[in-house]
Amino acid sequence: MNLMESSNKYIITFIIIMTVVAAVSLAGMRELTLSASTKNEEIFSKRSVLLTVNDYLGKGLNVNDLSDDEVLKMFNEQVEQVVLNINGEVVPNLLAEKIDLSVEKKKAEADRLLPLFVFKNEKEKFYILSVRGSGLWDEIWGNIAVKSDLNTIAGVTFDHKGETPGLGAEIKDNPAFPGQFIGKQIFKDGEVAVLVRKGGSQDKTYEVDGISGATITCDGVTEMLQRGIAYYLPYLETIEN
Amino acid sequence: MAEILEKVKIEEKEPFFGPKEKKLLLDPLMDINPITVQILGVCSALAITSLVYPSIVMAISVTLVTAFSNFFTSLVREYIPKQVRMIVQLVIIATLVTIVELGLKALNFPIWKQLSVYIGLIITNCIVMGRLEAYAMANKPWRSFLDGIGNGLGYGAILVIVAIIREILGKGTLFAGSPVEIKIIGNNATYLIDTTTSTMFGWYANNNLMVLPAAALFIIGILIWIHRTINPKLVDIS
Amino acid sequence: MGDFLNVFIKTAFVENMILSYFLGMCSYLAVSKSVKTALGLGIAVIFVLGITMPMNWLINEYLLKETGFFGMDLTFLRFILFIAVIAALVQLVEMVVEKFSPSLYNALGIFLPLITVNCAILGGSLFMISRELDLTKSVAFGLGGGFGWFLAIVALAAIREKIQYSNVPPALRGLGMAFILTGLMGMAFMSLMGIDPAAFTK
Repeated sequence: MNLMESSNKYIITFIIIMTVVAAVSLAGMRELTLSASTKNEEIFSKRSVLLTVNDYLGKGLNVNDLSDDEVLKMFNEQVEQVVLNINGEVVPNLLAEKIDLSVEKKKAEADRLLPLFVFKNEKEKFYILSVRGSGLWDEIWGNIAVKSDLNTIAGVTFDHKGETPGLGAEIKDNPAFPGQFIGKQIFKDGEVAVLVRKGGSQDKTYEVDGISGATITCDGVTEMLQRGIAYYLPYLETIEN
Repeated sequence: MAEILEKVKIEEKEPFFGPKEKKLLLDPLMDINPITVQILGVCSALAITSLVYPSIVMAISVTLVTAFSNFFTSLVREYIPKQVRMIVQLVIIATLVTIVELGLKALNFPIWKQLSVYIGLIITNCIVMGRLEAYAMANKPWRSFLDGIGNGLGYGAILVIVAIIREILGKGTLFAGSPVEIKIIGNNATYLIDTTTSTMFGWYANNNLMVLPAAALFIIGILIWIHRTINPKLVDIS
Repeated sequence: MGDFLNVFIKTAFVENMILSYFLGMCSYLAVSKSVKTALGLGIAVIFVLGITMPMNWLINEYLLKETGFFGMDLTFLRFILFIAVIAALVQLVEMVVEKFSPSLYNALGIFLPLITVNCAILGGSLFMISRELDLTKSVAFGLGGGFGWFLAIVALAAIREKIQYSNVPPALRGLGMAFILTGLMGMAFMSLMGIDPAAFTK
């Protein structure tokens, strides 16, 4: 190494040139990738919405096998987006995909907006609700597809920010956990009754098995479902009548 | 004058990819493996070794960053002012890591989401900085580039080995999340809820320890043990 | 206060930076041969984490975000700025230590500059962003994370000092044993997962 003690002037010139080169190349890279990554993000969330009705896509399709363009096409053709306020009234001119529940959570309860996706296949309509709550460490969230009887679950997806791998993180990683919810009933006497039971479900109509070692995450899922679905009750009642 | 000409000739004659270059590329894989021998880069990247697919992506990213940061540092090595050497190196690394991150976000979003902050942490992976200091600051760009690739791969090899062990024993799958997912376990769908109905080969139930961070440490400890038993000259005297 | 305590306990014990995220492993393994140097480095890490986290929080909130000073999304400069702040602060700490405690400076030797490339410092800042912590919580995260790091390195150094007198297989001596010990410590710390962090906010 033949590094010299350099003059301040040299150092400053060097640093300035380096900073400009770095900033310009990064800004260029960002411009180059921006459209692709925004599109990826959109497809990612649309995929997770469609995944809840995976069993009802028809023609034996599976969301995981669909290409990105097919996902967008299916979403455009078969999914209707509705935004609700807390009283269950439709707020016009808003797209459900633009609603971020983590932002809504910070608002006063009366001002919150709820996203609702309605998926249609040839025979039936599915209402896809979004919920958000807390797990052991951080936030957890999910989408729940309800069949047109407004009571039976067609499918769910969960995701989380920082649950323990192998324990709490299994709500997402292990397809068996969300899989259990398919066919469960949500409401009993007008209340949300679906829940995760530690040590194995008792009432098979409403309950699913908890994950051993992840009690707090599972309780978080129960709380999230019961509170989150209840927000949609006013709207579900109006369409039922 | 003649002397100088001769010197130039010799330099020109140096092969583009001779035995020395090959050694640069292959040595880090085994004899001077960055993790098991040099104790470099045993960093946060281990946290993503519970699955093989993200580990492979991570290994590729680290290799790219080590190779190119070695290359660029070596290019400007004679112009770097001594007093701000470290900042200059860090800026080069951070720029490259950001480029890799942006690229990954555009190419494979789910994996980008899974790796989250760990891509950024490549900046502080000691192996990148370590190679800059130890090699690129004193050698020519092309060789530095090869040295970077060799060390990145040596590091990546350990990541992937650890991940293969953890994923098979912990989840019963291989390459989960990638297009070529293999399910080794009989009935992957219900393993956690009822381990008795689905076991690997009929007798092995998934070991949850393998999914926990501690397992990565045990596996590396044992890998080092094996490596040093085969190659006793590496044993710590202290 | 409840939030502060919650995050502190969680990052110090349950989600220990080394034991569950492998953050800062390099210096952790290299400097854990004696308790005395481990103590010094541990304290330096607490200190640097405690300062850099709120600094980086402010930079991210008021300069890089779309709502910040420049009014555009500059988050792609995050890595560079964070690492620059860290490097500058470490330099500052180094100068202060050299001035006020030459003995500590000699003991830490080349390891003080290594704090810059200590993943725990940058990792703390990046985790803070990805978890959307507010300012109070990020201070708690910094101090708690640093304290957890301190605990882990001092514990490992103490064990390594003792284990010198044990008959470990030659190939496992040093590095190999350090990994296995860290794994065991990680499992021990995992038993603290039973703590319900929500209890502190009640």
